[in-house]
Amino acid sequence: MISSDIIRGHLDAIILKLIIEKDRYGYEISKEISSRTDNTFEIKEATLYAVFQRLEKNEYIVSYSGQITHGRKRKYYKVTESGQAYFKEKFKEWQTTKEIIDMLMEVKNEKN
Amino acid sequence: MKKIREYVEGMFKDVPDSKEKTDIVQEIILNLEEKVQDLIEQGKEEEDAINKSIVEFGDITEIKSGLMNISGSEQKRPKSFSHANNLMFSVFGSMLLIGLFIFINFYYSPNTIWFVYPMFAVLWWPLSLFFVWLNNRKKGKDD
Repeated sequence: MISSDIIRGHLDAIILKLIIEKDRYGYEISKEISSRTDNTFEIKEATLYAVFQRLEKNEYIVSYSGQITHGRKRKYYKVTESGQAYFKEKFKEWQTTKEIIDMLMEVKNEKN
Repeated sequence: MKKIREYVEGMFKDVPDSKEKTDIVQEIILNLEEKVQDLIEQGKEEEDAINKSIVEFGDITEIKSGLMNISGSEQKRPKSFSHANNLMFSVFGSMLLIGLFIFINFYYSPNTIWFVYPMFAVLWWPLSLFFVWLNNRKKGKDD
């Protein structure tokens, strides 16, 4: 299991992205992350709730309790407008970072 | 499943009670129970499933500090307010006492000026509280 600082630094944006796709609840998100990465990356529940806390505090997401399924009332998260804007910004930032790292890594390889 | 509830509640035992805490504990329990259910469906023993979920949960220091911050910022304000209150009280109290000394001094023995001595003694009171107040203001700024 990879647990790199780079992924950790972008978890807020990654989770925001999943919530932008559709309203989701906690366990659904951790399942989705595992399945999309073919189990190469797993998010710890503790980390996930810390991210929810942060996103909610910054008003990027809001929570509501969903309908009762299997006798439980799940807590769903929904993205807000400022959440959408924040994700766009983070996404752009990531694109540039990726390009820069690619450029630098490639230059190094050519010289070798 | 009772074990999950006990475990989660145990983890948050040292966090002061609040609505945020109850909410997050409830949410974590529900999601963990669902994970355990999933693991059982995949063929795990219940005992194993519960243990696996608990082990994989991770470190909750960050969640805790998030919870502490919510309640911490609300508790801080009245504290510095009460320090200012103490200072005010000491200033008025010592002024009254000094006034009383001056009155007794000039009413009963106008020829000897002695009220300065008890006045200095009394002045320690507001002075010390003034320092407490100053210290606290500095601490508040550092935070």
